[in-house]
Amino acid sequence: MLPTSILLGLPALVELVGATRQYGDLVALDDVHLALRPGELAFLVGPSGAGKTTLLKLINREIRPSSGEVWIDGMPAHALSASRIADLRRRVGVVYQDYKLLPKLTALENVAFGLQVSDLSASDAEVHDRALDALEAVGLGDRAGSFPPEMSGGQQQRVAIARAVVSQPAVLVADEPTGNLDLETAWQVMKLLEQIARFGTTVLVATHNLDIVRRMQRRVLTLVDGRLVRDQPAGRVGRLAWASS
Amino acid sequence: MGVVLNAPFPRRRRLLNTIRNTLRHLFLDAARAWIRNLGATGPALGSMTLLLLLSGLVGLTAYTIQRLAATQASNAAVLHVYLRDDAQPADVMALRTKLSADRRVAGVGYTSKAAALQQAQTRPGMSDLAGAADENPFPASIDVKVRSVADVGAVAGSVGTNAPVDPILPTSYNPGASDRIQKALLIVGIAGAAFLLLLGFVAVTVTANSIRTTIMARESEVAIMQLVGARRWMVRGPFVVEGAMTGGVAGLAAGLVTLVAGVAVVAAGRSTFAQIAPGVDARVCALAAGLVLVTGLLLGSAASLYSVHRQLES
Repeated sequence: MLPTSILLGLPALVELVGATRQYGDLVALDDVHLALRPGELAFLVGPSGAGKTTLLKLINREIRPSSGEVWIDGMPAHALSASRIADLRRRVGVVYQDYKLLPKLTALENVAFGLQVSDLSASDAEVHDRALDALEAVGLGDRAGSFPPEMSGGQQQRVAIARAVVSQPAVLVADEPTGNLDLETAWQVMKLLEQIARFGTTVLVATHNLDIVRRMQRRVLTLVDGRLVRDQPAGRVGRLAWASS
Repeated sequence: MGVVLNAPFPRRRRLLNTIRNTLRHLFLDAARAWIRNLGATGPALGSMTLLLLLSGLVGLTAYTIQRLAATQASNAAVLHVYLRDDAQPADVMALRTKLSADRRVAGVGYTSKAAALQQAQTRPGMSDLAGAADENPFPASIDVKVRSVADVGAVAGSVGTNAPVDPILPTSYNPGASDRIQKALLIVGIAGAAFLLLLGFVAVTVTANSIRTTIMARESEVAIMQLVGARRWMVRGPFVVEGAMTGGVAGLAAGLVTLVAGVAVVAAGRSTFAQIAPGVDARVCALAAGLVLVTGLLLGSAASLYSVHRQLES
């Protein structure tokens, strides 16, 4: 199941060239080469401490690589000045395991917040409409006025996804988005991410949920001790040998 | 579901929206957050008000001292040559002519006994004294404006033996008095400036800590803003505005108290201040109040900038 972008030879939206990240003597990510194309959904798997979160942080420019290059939608994340990080982050939506919603804002306000700070030129009506559209897209149009503590984990995660995609980023990264969810809800969230990828967004999901990885049959990138040890194309069921270690 | 995520942005009134959203984000949201966090900001606001009030009062005092120093310097160059009551007009004229011819002298004037009494009666506490005597106790004088303060002693010495001069108190010259006053004023001025600097440092520290506390309390909000692509000024701007508001409100309160206190003191001691605080009036107090307000705004903004820079860059 190759993305159309590959078939059409589109350039990579996410590209890591020999990306290495060290924390003192600890090598969290070691010489990773990776390219993700538009519309591609890929999983990032590996044991705890393998470097999955570090890789996602490199993509969102929360950290710089110690060496190597990170290119996001044509922007050199490895060489960006602090003043241009915001430009890059508007091209990258992020979803976290703990949702990171503001509890005093409603679901609609949380989604609108993401849009308001990333696009000052949007009118109030536009922000409202687009935030509501995004909530409806994740199946929560009827919970727009609810506050996060009033919602289930799956619903909060879907609000977080709506917030991440409302400004139409080119790339969406998700760090253990199903970590706090039951299998059924996790499956719904993954189908939602698959749908987002279908509209052209590059989606990279770091997860421990191997059931979902096997069922989705998408590209799987395996990290072990900071090294990309396996890049399994979509449509194949790999052994995921690290899981037994 | 999910069919609208890649819909194109409608383009309408983008510029106006940008301006309105920017102003709202920077000022309205900052004002709301400031009011919401007033409980946390309160101690800093109180401390800063107190410090600015002290600064205002110290500033007014410093101005008074500066004016006193200027007056003192001006008076020090004027030598009053006191005349005997029975001095002959011809002798007086001869002495005036002699003094006028002196190269060290810039000008020579004359104050009669009647004029001396009139001047004394305008001075605080002197009117009763002047009226208590049976006859006018104040002598006539030749008022000599000496070019250089350093020559006052020499000019005073040159008139001491002249016939019309009062043998008991020939002149107003008091060796060393002027120097002592100038030195005392300099010391007071330096101490005042050091005190003002200290107050400024404390005010900045208090406000910076207050803003840091505010940022820490809103850490998750700030983190989410950064993650969804808010520009640096959007994250930092509202905190700076909040700091400016803290400084502005503190400055306004301190300025008003400075104005009221200054005007009240000037009014209460009007007769005394004509001598002790020359030039200090309601206009000067209002200017001091305005400076306190501006200082509050600047200190609040600067402290916030410093705090935001340190807290968000770390």
